[in-house]
Amino acid sequence: MFFEKYKDKKDGVIRGYDIRSPKTKVIAVIIMLICILMVCICLFPAVWVFLASFKDIKEFTREVSILPEAFEWSRMAETWNAFKFTTYYKNSLIHVAGAMICAVVFNGLLAYGLGVLKPKGHKIALGLVMWSLLIPSIISIVPLFRNINNLGLSKSFIPLWFVYGANAFYVMLFKQFFEEIPKELTEAAKLDGCGVWRMFVSIMLPLSKPIIMVVAIFAVTAAWSDFLLPYLVLQQAKWPDNTTMETVMVKLFSFKDTPTDAVSVLRASFFAIIPPTIIFIIFQKQITDGAASGAVKG
Amino acid sequence: MKKKLISLLLCTVMAAAMLTGCGDETTSNSSSSANDTSSEASAESSVETDESTEEADSTEEAVTITLGIWPEDTLTEDIAVHEGYVATMAELHPNVTCVPAYYKYSTDTFMPMVESGNCPTIFESWFTEPQKLISQGAIADITDELEARGWLDAMNPSIRELLSDDNGRVYGIPRDGYALGLMLNVELFEEAGLVDEDGYPLYPKTWDELAETAKTIKEKTGFAGLCLLAKDNSGGWHFSNIAWCFGATLCTENADGTFTANLASDEAIAAMEYVKSLKWEYDVLTADPLNEDWGSGFTQLGTGGAAMYIGANDAVQQPTQVNGLALDKFAMCPIPEGPGGQYSLYGGTPYFFSKDATSAEINAALDYLEIMGKAPVATEAAVAGMKADAENKVAQGVPVLQRFPCWIAQDVLDAEAAVVEEYGNVDPKMFESYFEATASDGNLRLEEPGETQDMYAELTKVLQEVIINENADVAALMQQANDNYQAILDDKYPAE
Amino acid sequence: MKAAKVKKEKFRKRDLMGWLVMLPTLILFAFFVWEPLIENIRLSFCTTKMYEVTGFAGLKNYIAVVNDVDFMAAFKNTFAYTFWSLIIGFLVPIIMGILISETVRGKSLFRVGVYFPNIMPSLATIWIWSYFFLPGETGVLNIILGWFGIEPQVWLNNPKWTIPLIIITLTWKSAGSTALIYMANISGISPDLYEAATIDGASIMQRIRHITIPSITGIAKTMLIMQIISVFQILYEPMIFKNGGPNNASISLMMLMYRYGYRDYNVAKASALSVIVSLILIVLSGIYMKATAKRNDE
Repeated sequence: MFFEKYKDKKDGVIRGYDIRSPKTKVIAVIIMLICILMVCICLFPAVWVFLASFKDIKEFTREVSILPEAFEWSRMAETWNAFKFTTYYKNSLIHVAGAMICAVVFNGLLAYGLGVLKPKGHKIALGLVMWSLLIPSIISIVPLFRNINNLGLSKSFIPLWFVYGANAFYVMLFKQFFEEIPKELTEAAKLDGCGVWRMFVSIMLPLSKPIIMVVAIFAVTAAWSDFLLPYLVLQQAKWPDNTTMETVMVKLFSFKDTPTDAVSVLRASFFAIIPPTIIFIIFQKQITDGAASGAVKG
Repeated sequence: MKKKLISLLLCTVMAAAMLTGCGDETTSNSSSSANDTSSEASAESSVETDESTEEADSTEEAVTITLGIWPEDTLTEDIAVHEGYVATMAELHPNVTCVPAYYKYSTDTFMPMVESGNCPTIFESWFTEPQKLISQGAIADITDELEARGWLDAMNPSIRELLSDDNGRVYGIPRDGYALGLMLNVELFEEAGLVDEDGYPLYPKTWDELAETAKTIKEKTGFAGLCLLAKDNSGGWHFSNIAWCFGATLCTENADGTFTANLASDEAIAAMEYVKSLKWEYDVLTADPLNEDWGSGFTQLGTGGAAMYIGANDAVQQPTQVNGLALDKFAMCPIPEGPGGQYSLYGGTPYFFSKDATSAEINAALDYLEIMGKAPVATEAAVAGMKADAENKVAQGVPVLQRFPCWIAQDVLDAEAAVVEEYGNVDPKMFESYFEATASDGNLRLEEPGETQDMYAELTKVLQEVIINENADVAALMQQANDNYQAILDDKYPAE
Repeated sequence: MKAAKVKKEKFRKRDLMGWLVMLPTLILFAFFVWEPLIENIRLSFCTTKMYEVTGFAGLKNYIAVVNDVDFMAAFKNTFAYTFWSLIIGFLVPIIMGILISETVRGKSLFRVGVYFPNIMPSLATIWIWSYFFLPGETGVLNIILGWFGIEPQVWLNNPKWTIPLIIITLTWKSAGSTALIYMANISGISPDLYEAATIDGASIMQRIRHITIPSITGIAKTMLIMQIISVFQILYEPMIFKNGGPNNASISLMMLMYRYGYRDYNVAKASALSVIVSLILIVLSGIYMKATAKRNDE
């Protein structure tokens, strides 16, 4: 049974005919076991944080166990309410939604210019974008924050949204995809006298759904995990009803300065990984395909 | 190739633009700062006109203050107390609007916040920060406001000096004073049989005794005798207190304004050898001191991971309220005595004011402190504020203890003592020796002069090394730390 | 004659439209990425008070950085980080990619499983790992060791192991996505190559060595450079795990920059260090560009 399937194997080193030898069978089983172990290692920390969140502080610091003594959801609810996670979730949602739209629209447009329209001199822009792919943004966080202040944009989500409109990685993803769209289509549209905008709306957009999906999902998980710029920009920021504008990750980051008991940190970490996990479970295929599609093809 | 050339060219152009920009920007900057001063001047003049109108109707000037000292969202009971203060404020100073703006000071948020103009009118900080904040021009000079209220002379002189610049201008006022002592988890002392017939813990009086006591606790209970810090600068901070008891002075200021590091003295080395022996000879520390910082130390003490911890009276809510130690199982004793004497490191938590705050705003914030009972006045409102605070502490399971005298006004001290008497929720005998020792002459000692945080950082590195390395050469490590620290001092305070 | 002129004009209009399409995003790039980078360079030559420039400093900030007592430690650590990230961070995904390629059952589960850590917010994973490495009996890793009868370890305290352990946590997070890229490349290898090799009598190991490895060398070169570049971004792990300790054993250049900028409020000095790091990155990026350019030519 287990080895039958190897007959239809299309890629990889071990071919269908190898599996006849017992030695190869052993190798196949070992590989299988290693892969299962790898997945366990990859998933374990998330499972553990879920389990440990049920412990109380004394149990956590003194008991030698992975499993909690009891699964008391009320403890979770207590931390959720004490830290007002509903508010943080709401703020993160606003952050993520805007970031996703900006990521798709702006990077898509630039890639359309760089990959399809290719106006004279576009290679300069391309070169600059490529270079910025390689220098981490954290290096210039101080002057960036100054710029944001000078425009009076701090204490709002606007800079946090628009910063996702300038992401070299997403531009490259879009550009690669656009370049794979058959030239004939765009050429034909050009001959028909199709304008730049009409070509974008009637040809590029309908074809680009998969890549839009990938960039949107990447932007959502990235924005959800983002904390340094939000931490700086959203400080002391309040909604009109006087609730905080800080996001889930900002809260999590601020634990490093506030003495908080370990269990609360764990529960907060657990709350923080729920939404990306759900998104990942729903869109697992798009995400893994997107990641595999040679994210770094230069 | 072409592409590369173009990008190279572009880089050069950008670099050139940048260099010329340097000149440009400085000029535009100076012009903008000129603008600033002019606008400031106009602001001042408008304040003056305000003041002149104030003479006519003093209650009309509307002031809004943002309170960074507001409690965190999660502390609903504390917020209720502050809401009470705001109500009193509205009664006594109807012209002042108070806006809650909880801000927990941290070095990585402070500067960005000031830069974005979001600094609250009043906020709490740490006693390590004033000189840095003053030299960066990040906080307001409040000398005149304090003088007008007569608070300047009510301030404990050594604390006042900490909060002043070289010209004697004052930039902050103390919330609390603190003195380091030894916090005890009485539960573990009981388990180890280290209590007298009345159930009071037999606390160690010297550092040698401490090692023995800790060893007994470790043997009898399996938990650490002492929680020593070695993760961040707080390790060096605690160590400096230990070193004093061994007779060391870690840094001295010279007449010409330079400083001399003195980390490699025989006494300092002896103190470090002692710490090393706690790990390698007695083995009484928590599993990994390199993982312990100020906050985790309280967790260890509060949850019974360690029996002793160096802590101060201003943080008693940490082991109890935050980490769940029962009030009758918590005690404090003085820092043990060493061959060089017995000292308690002494400081406090300061309030600072936004550099953008106007004089009226600062005064309103000072009024708020009066209502909180944190000012050197014993008015009816202030006493009510102290009582509200104490009542809240009782409800929260936080020990109500006498405050450390950061003000020297006698009527305030009396009022405070009365409140502690009324609301006391702990057995005073559990804290008696601590308060006695710290009240004795010459016991309190301020942090070392110089670049104290850098010194702590160097000491912490040595602590880490002696804890992980049984064969560490303490003298050589201290010499290295001394050289490093001296280099920092020479860089910051060069000889003229 | 006339027709040619018309065509030329049309061209120009299309160019203009192309640039117009790209303009909004380019403005975002300028604001969020490029200008802050340049501003950084300017600040590094100035003296500052808070964020304000107070004068010209020449090379003073650079000298201060190089003479800093912790700079040499951080600089040396960078080499240790690089070394371990080559040993662990670079090799693990290749092995993972090859192994998962060889499975037939549950392959999609493995793909999804190993990618999962990648979508977990990095901050949450840092907190979780910091509890994994807790010393004493109650640390998670020590509990697991206990199952096998092994004594509790003090994980991050051996200066020789602090950096490798940090690299392991980073690899845990990123290896899955890199493995997917390798897998995409491996499945692109023509089965004919393997068949031919089998006919020549090549064993499975020989096939891996002579067919699989050479086919992924191109992408591996790119990933290698990306791996090295990522070393220069290490900041939060040593900061939250051990605050750079023990005795500076894990302090990174980025962490030093963060200290200058945010603990000491010395923006100019932080800028000088970030310029130094940028220069290193630009050199490495140059090598990267060369590597990818070659690969595209192939």
